[in-house]
Amino acid sequence: MSYLELSHVNKDFGGVKAVEDFNLSVNQGDFVSFLGPSGCGKTTTLRMIAGFELPSNGQITLNQKDLTYLPPNKRFVGMVFQSYALFPNMTVEKNIGYGMQVIGKPREEIKKRVDEMLNLIHMESFRTRYPGQLSGGQQQRVALARALAIRPQVLLLDEPLSALDAKIRVELRQEIRSLQQQLGITTVYVTHDQEEALSLSDKIVVMSEGRIEQVGTPTEIYNYPVNEFVAKFVGQLNLLPVVVVDPLQGMVKLGQQLIQTNRHGHLNGRPVQLAVRPEELSPGFKEGSNNLEGKVEAITYLGAIVRIRVEIEGNLVSLDLFNDTKLKIPAVGDHYSLTFPIDSCWII
Amino acid sequence: MNLWALFWVFLAALYFFLPMFGTFDFSLRMKKGELSLLAYKTVLADPQFFQSFSYSVTMGIITVALSIMLFVPTVYWIHLKVPKARPIVEVITILPFVIPVIVFVFGLIRTFSAPPLQMTLSPFKTDILMVAGYIILSMPFMYRAVDVGMRTIDVRSLTEAAQSLGANWIQIMLNVIFPNLRNAILSGSLICFATVIGELILGDFLVRPALGPYMVLVGRDKAYEPAALAIISYALTWACLGLITFLSRGSNSQQQLTGR
Repeated sequence: MSYLELSHVNKDFGGVKAVEDFNLSVNQGDFVSFLGPSGCGKTTTLRMIAGFELPSNGQITLNQKDLTYLPPNKRFVGMVFQSYALFPNMTVEKNIGYGMQVIGKPREEIKKRVDEMLNLIHMESFRTRYPGQLSGGQQQRVALARALAIRPQVLLLDEPLSALDAKIRVELRQEIRSLQQQLGITTVYVTHDQEEALSLSDKIVVMSEGRIEQVGTPTEIYNYPVNEFVAKFVGQLNLLPVVVVDPLQGMVKLGQQLIQTNRHGHLNGRPVQLAVRPEELSPGFKEGSNNLEGKVEAITYLGAIVRIRVEIEGNLVSLDLFNDTKLKIPAVGDHYSLTFPIDSCWII
Repeated sequence: MNLWALFWVFLAALYFFLPMFGTFDFSLRMKKGELSLLAYKTVLADPQFFQSFSYSVTMGIITVALSIMLFVPTVYWIHLKVPKARPIVEVITILPFVIPVIVFVFGLIRTFSAPPLQMTLSPFKTDILMVAGYIILSMPFMYRAVDVGMRTIDVRSLTEAAQSLGANWIQIMLNVIFPNLRNAILSGSLICFATVIGELILGDFLVRPALGPYMVLVGRDKAYEPAALAIISYALTWACLGLITFLSRGSNSQQQLTGR
């Protein structure tokens, strides 16, 4: 039996389906991310776990206890918000101790737990500061400590890093993961940032229009997307319109150029789309691989990566090259050959 | 600042302070040929002044307390649960500005002096009616002050954060909402208090010893004392403003010490 279970959960807002037949099992100690574009129902689902929204139907159980209609203050679930939601009238230590204070814990126990939490987030010297005297990253660390101080059954994080700048976001992301592993707390994390989801999670739930598109480990989600939406949403993807010329051999044609694929599932002789990730493509010609010819359209520097866009048979194909000092970058308009392994592409 | 700006500031100051100075100067001329505080002494020596002043202060305190208890949870609930109702409620709250006070008071008396309530038969019941009337009359000020305060904090997230930590509604109100609305409640309370202190028509029509009717009474029969009373009421208003500044100074000490 899983620790957190959502069974056939639906949520309607005035006839609009925000979440549709949501089924998920989360094991104790897992870090699960809900990943999807805005309005896909990920936050609504999280809010139903927290008790801020009631499901239209379905059931939510936590540690074999039915939570579905339990008020939020009886759920014992820690929540971290995008806007931090620290109480502006309380100091850092009062904020962290508030959850214990409202359930009537003795003062000594509160102080001990607050000290423990401050130590955990490395903010011992900030205990008497007010939220308005802290930076965004510090506020979010306090919010995390406040949620963890009550020793919740589940930790819920609703896009906690969205309001922070890129550098702090990466730092705090690692801190959250390390705290979660240290405490072994079951965590549900909502994000629209695929990099966050891929780097943090044990399991990712990709959502679109209120439905689950795919559930899997980061590797499964990235390398084996089950449909076009997941393939397009997670990572960069080249989608090329091809025509099947030999279904048995897996041969397809892009304009006048032949491509071979190992995945035969959808080959039925009709026009289909060939998917290949930009990092699978490399410049040059290689025997036994797929090879294409085109003209360089654009070059974009992305720091560690250089993205080259090549026009092939009227389609733009992106390839990502590692930006080392020996990299020979073509000029716009150059004739360009690129190659990719047969098993790195698939038909959608 | 250019010369034109200085000129307009000077003109505005003149517009405000000149009548006040005139009133103050007049209030000092009760004794012929010399400046004295005789008008103030006469006003302060009148037991009726203290009676009406203490009555209005008591009414003001009760009105403020009940207004806070009524409006803070109401505005909170509107923000949290029915934000779409806010425009309708805003229209309702400005009705005391639209309906003339005399019409409102007349309606109040007609409705509540008749059986079965007959609230004008005893002073205590009439005082209840007075407080109810004051709450309505000061509603636009109190509602707006609390509403503006509520807009400055993220009510929903703060409530949900407190709920997720195990707090019930009373704990949320007392520990989170009220402390974070301190300045807004304070501003609303003082404006509400000032409205009650200066209110004339309710006290006059319900025949209660309020400060407003007393000031009118003094103004009818005497010359210098009303001027002294006007200055006293100015002083009270400024004292109220000073009190707001003094009590809300704590919030300025929480300065940002690091970057966002």
